[in-house]
Amino acid sequence: MNARVARALDAVTAERAEDALLSVRGLTVRFRLRGGRTVAAVTDADFDLAPGECLALVGESGCGKSVLASALLGLLPANAETSGTALIGGTDLLAADEKTLARSVRGRRIGLVPQSPAAHLTPVRTVRAHLEETVRALTDTPRPGRRKAAEDAAERAAFPATHLDSYPHELSGGLAQRAATALALIGDAPLLLADEPTTGLDRDLVERTADELRRHADDGRGLLLITHDLTAAARIADRVAVMYAGRIVELAPAHRFFGTTGPDHPYARGLLDALPDRAFTPVPGMPPELSALPEGCAFAPRCPRATDLCATVPALRAGVACHHPERPRA
Amino acid sequence: MLELDSVTAGYEPRRPVFRDASLSIAPGESVGLLGPSGCGKSTLARVAALLHRPDAGRLVLDGTEVTAWRHRAPRAQRTAVGVVFQQPRTAADPRLTLADLIAEPLRATGRKAEAADRVAELAPAVGLTPELLTRRPHAVSDGQLQRACLARALTLRPRWLVCDEMTAMLDASTTAALVAAVETYRRETGAGLLAVGHDRVLLNRWCDRTVEWKDCLPHPGA
Amino acid sequence: MADPRTHRLRLWTSATVVGAVALAVLLVPPLVHLDEQAVDLSQKLLPPSWDHPFGTDDVGRDLLLRCVYGLRISLLVGLVAALVATVLGTAVGAAAGALGGWTDRTLMRLVDAFSSVPHLLLGIFVVALFRPGVWPVIASVAVTHWLSTARIVRSEVLSLRTRPHIEAAISGGASRRRVATRHLLPAVLPQAGLAAVLMVPHAMWHESALSFLGLGLPSHQASLGNLVQSARSSLLAGDWWPTLFPGLFLIVPTLAIAGLAGVWRDRLNPRRRSELML
Repeated sequence: MNARVARALDAVTAERAEDALLSVRGLTVRFRLRGGRTVAAVTDADFDLAPGECLALVGESGCGKSVLASALLGLLPANAETSGTALIGGTDLLAADEKTLARSVRGRRIGLVPQSPAAHLTPVRTVRAHLEETVRALTDTPRPGRRKAAEDAAERAAFPATHLDSYPHELSGGLAQRAATALALIGDAPLLLADEPTTGLDRDLVERTADELRRHADDGRGLLLITHDLTAAARIADRVAVMYAGRIVELAPAHRFFGTTGPDHPYARGLLDALPDRAFTPVPGMPPELSALPEGCAFAPRCPRATDLCATVPALRAGVACHHPERPRA
Repeated sequence: MLELDSVTAGYEPRRPVFRDASLSIAPGESVGLLGPSGCGKSTLARVAALLHRPDAGRLVLDGTEVTAWRHRAPRAQRTAVGVVFQQPRTAADPRLTLADLIAEPLRATGRKAEAADRVAELAPAVGLTPELLTRRPHAVSDGQLQRACLARALTLRPRWLVCDEMTAMLDASTTAALVAAVETYRRETGAGLLAVGHDRVLLNRWCDRTVEWKDCLPHPGA
Repeated sequence: MADPRTHRLRLWTSATVVGAVALAVLLVPPLVHLDEQAVDLSQKLLPPSWDHPFGTDDVGRDLLLRCVYGLRISLLVGLVAALVATVLGTAVGAAAGALGGWTDRTLMRLVDAFSSVPHLLLGIFVVALFRPGVWPVIASVAVTHWLSTARIVRSEVLSLRTRPHIEAAISGGASRRRVATRHLLPAVLPQAGLAAVLMVPHAMWHESALSFLGLGLPSHQASLGNLVQSARSSLLAGDWWPTLFPGLFLIVPTLAIAGLAGVWRDRLNPRRRSELML
């Protein structure tokens, strides 16, 4: 790829930012630990998400992707320090105070589809009670209309009306997931944030859950799918962002990433090669500690292509942060 | 052979999770057991690992019928089957360092002297560095902890391995690394494997043969 | 969860008070050769002054000295009773949880039976069986306070028993005894220890209540309950110090002990321990 194409791609990225639903620039999260140690959980994350688009944020557990999600929702613990911007409809999520986040962001602009939906629901209340309460909290539907609104929300998430009066423990994993999705949809939030929505589910259920999330993106919502399940990401994502040691190391269209061309970053290639329907060989070594990152490229110690050049951190250019990408840049 | 013959098991009296499940594994063979969550396949795996006494049915381990479970089972029989569970967090004692976790079966069976050597041998096999071995579970990732849990299952060189959804919580790279470690061990020792899971692609790639849960149960009308 | 500053403040205040109390009750009696029983009717019911910082009681005994001695005896009763109750509760709870079945049902019904009788009534019944003294009071407190510990320990053991890490230990060849001593007990002890510390203030109040009712320690012994009891008549006459100081000596140390226990409980909380969610 030559310089002209790279510039053209950067221009596309800039254009994307203009009609983006969510625009994240330089998002950095640090945790200060006792003893002066610092955990670099997220470093300089840049990405945009358009309406109707599904962006999958993939990476190994502990790479910082869940911290990124928590940062967007303002749910980080007290010892976290954030910098950068995350704009959604003119509000900077990182600068907003708790009141703004509670009143106008969570549920209204960002709907959260949680990791373990059964734990996300109050065990002593029925699904209907959950839905009606959320309708009351997020919309100004008058009391008589709430029942209908709750039923409509359930229908949008394909939650069967026959199970509305069930308690969370009476639901199967799939139904609990739909109930949680129905709750996330009530505020008609333009952005859905799904944090590992398929962990621990059966393969059939993974596919169904993923397809349902995709349908909500097709309805014009933006979907940020945070997952370590590459198969689920391949199924529904438009673009893929690969995170490694707190940095986004590759941001690529899904068809190219999962298709015959494949990813450009050696780590992303290694991750795909680890899949059981591909080479089924692991990436050698283990990811570094976020509290003791190596100088330069964090992947260099595990990378077959590493050279002296990798002692400096590669910038994300034309969608890949690597000094020796698969298809060399100009 | 590891033979489960018409096993009925459950957690409440007279309310079994499943009835008459059968499955047998030849020495050195690897069998993947595939089924939806909640079907009882994990319970069957616990029966095979002598951790859950079935309500009815037989377990025959290398020609000997198992008559006692959990603590009542003879130690040699119990330790012939190594187990790895789905959730490394709950499967690891939070007070032990990873090295102690791996050495625990040797200490428990009065072979403390061999512990250091065995840990030094197992750690590289599952991809753990000496530095990680000194840490406690809360200071390592799920993937690193699961590596230690696999090493612990291999410590006493079991003839059989039961992996219950071992990789369900893990990313692709760690999954491939753990499966490779299991396969290396099996190549060296000829151990048999029962891998329980719901990922067909993974089990097909990993195991000699894959069995559907419903094929373990008696066919209606047969 | 309190923020770290409040947390530290609570830790240090509580620790300072508990430390001062420990020093006072341990060092004052052997070092200060004063008789807390010394009666001097010429000095009776003096308000606080330099000579008698807490004033004197109705027979002229120095209240500061009597408060220190009272705290000493109340603390002793509280600590021993909490220890006895914890050991009893842990033993019953662990046995019920670990053995299960018929043993579990019998033991837990016994706990229910004890719980159904009001604490103070049961406590009074126990002291009434014996001559007044320290041991009947300790027995009375222990009998009424082991129940909650038994419940806590039983549920801990039950939840641990089917934990994969216990199953892994069994599969690794661990004997029943090794699982109990190396895996179950160490996991239960912090909870039981916390319950014991939280019980000390309870036990002290229970002792004081018994003494106040005249059923606890012999009335000449300077326990905090006895001091408050004997000061009642003076309070009606408008003399506030004989009630106030023993009362404060009961309230402040028990709050401090509860404060320390609270810090301990926060430390046990796994959410705080992990510190980070990655």
